[in-house]
Amino acid sequence: MIEVHALTKRYGRTVAVDDLSFRVEPARVTGFLGPNGAGKTTTLRTLLGLVRPTSGTATVLGMPYRELDEPTRRVGAVLEATSYHPGRSGRNHLRVAAAAGGLTRSRVDEVLELVQLSADAHRRLRGYSLGMRQRLHLATALLGDPEVLVLDEPANGLDPAGMRWLRDLLRRLADGGRTVLVSSHVLAEVEQIADEVVIIHRGRFVAQSSTAELAARATAATRVRSPQAARLQEALAGQQIGVRGTGDDALAVDAAPERVGELAAAHGVVLHELVAERATLEEAFLELTGGETTR
Amino acid sequence: MRLLIAELLKLWTTPRTTLGLLLGMLAVVALGTVGMLAAATDEVRMSQTILDDLLSFAAVSATFALIVGVLVVTWEWRHGTMTETFLAAPRRERVVGAKALAAAAAGAVLAAAAVALTLAVAYVWISDEAAVDFGAVWATVGRLVLAGAIWGVLGVGIGALVRSQVAAIVLVFVWFFVLEPLLRVLIEGSDYLPGAALQALTEGGDDVLSSAGGALVATVYAIAAALLGTLATLQRDVA
Repeated sequence: MIEVHALTKRYGRTVAVDDLSFRVEPARVTGFLGPNGAGKTTTLRTLLGLVRPTSGTATVLGMPYRELDEPTRRVGAVLEATSYHPGRSGRNHLRVAAAAGGLTRSRVDEVLELVQLSADAHRRLRGYSLGMRQRLHLATALLGDPEVLVLDEPANGLDPAGMRWLRDLLRRLADGGRTVLVSSHVLAEVEQIADEVVIIHRGRFVAQSSTAELAARATAATRVRSPQAARLQEALAGQQIGVRGTGDDALAVDAAPERVGELAAAHGVVLHELVAERATLEEAFLELTGGETTR
Repeated sequence: MRLLIAELLKLWTTPRTTLGLLLGMLAVVALGTVGMLAAATDEVRMSQTILDDLLSFAAVSATFALIVGVLVVTWEWRHGTMTETFLAAPRRERVVGAKALAAAAAGAVLAAAAVALTLAVAYVWISDEAAVDFGAVWATVGRLVLAGAIWGVLGVGIGALVRSQVAAIVLVFVWFFVLEPLLRVLIEGSDYLPGAALQALTEGGDDVLSSAGGALVATVYAIAAALLGTLATLQRDVA
């Protein structure tokens, strides 16, 4: 369990986190959502004892991280894929972490197997791709088989197959009763992974809700392609629907695909493509906050 | 204890850096030893003082120990691995302590390697000189190994204070090879400066400090730097 209470962090005159409070419960995957610069990373680093809060508290398993006796066995964290010595091999990176956490070498081989890096474990990290480094850091986080898992933007560098694999892994861990907190600035990612989301913006709490609820609230959007794009654009604009050309014969429309298709049929416009777009995070924000938090 | 093992493992698993430093130091020591022996007059070469001269050159190993100490801290900041280090050990004073012990061990090993090479070269060259007694150097060897260990700790303190790898190494070189030699010429009573104290230790004492006194003063510098470095490390946000 994770608890953030009235957390504030200032860097000089910049307020990175502003009176932020929320709780993360075990046995589910919680998404931590906000645009770049919203204060997600600062919040997570404060939670993990790496950054001192200006005021307020952040606790994990009921106490500040710095007071945990065996942190490696209780909390696992993946913070950034840039944290590695390029001359060290993947296995040695994990051996160092295992030694510091008081864990056995056999555990190193287990987590290497788990993240499918066994075949590359002898290679220097200099030669690893971003996705491989992400998986290596995930392996490091999982070394101590922790009760709480904190991941900062884990999707960076993962290909679609890797994302799917991560999703399944986090699902299994949450179903096993663990607390999982995953930050992201992409709503679509969080929507697929998380049961619940905490949204912050400019360091402030915006909302906490189930993912399904959030998706339902998000504004619909459609991408459409037509050889008669100009006519369709005119028809949509006539219905007060937001629309803009995106090159060639394509339009981006602020309405559900059903509405666009019906309107096209009514005007006898031929469609070559009609795709439901995921709502952007920005739009979800507008919906959730009545337009007050953005710009 | 497990943090010390982790720190030693960090040194062990970056062979290019650690072996590079070791081999670089051995090259310097070999060149210095051979050069000294070749340049020495027959009279000097056949006297006991030749071994002391050679070993005082092997004291260059303390400078390499200092660099290892600096690296042990600064490469973690440079590569961002300090994040994982502090996640595994959020009580940071223990991390600095483990690094100081690891650097002391590495510094002692470097000094021992330098001494071994020096004595090996000297043995091949002059062991047939009846006047030279190789059994009489053990005290000097012990002082050099101790100097390496102390300077390893000093390096950790400097690294923890400065944090930037380049800045810390530049600082070390500017101080020990430019500023302090200058101060020692200009100022009376500069025998208590760190480089002078270490020299008193490695060369068996001078007019002001005995070798034990030199060891004490050098240790005070090393511990003070490590404590200040620990305080700085405790304050820092790892962002």
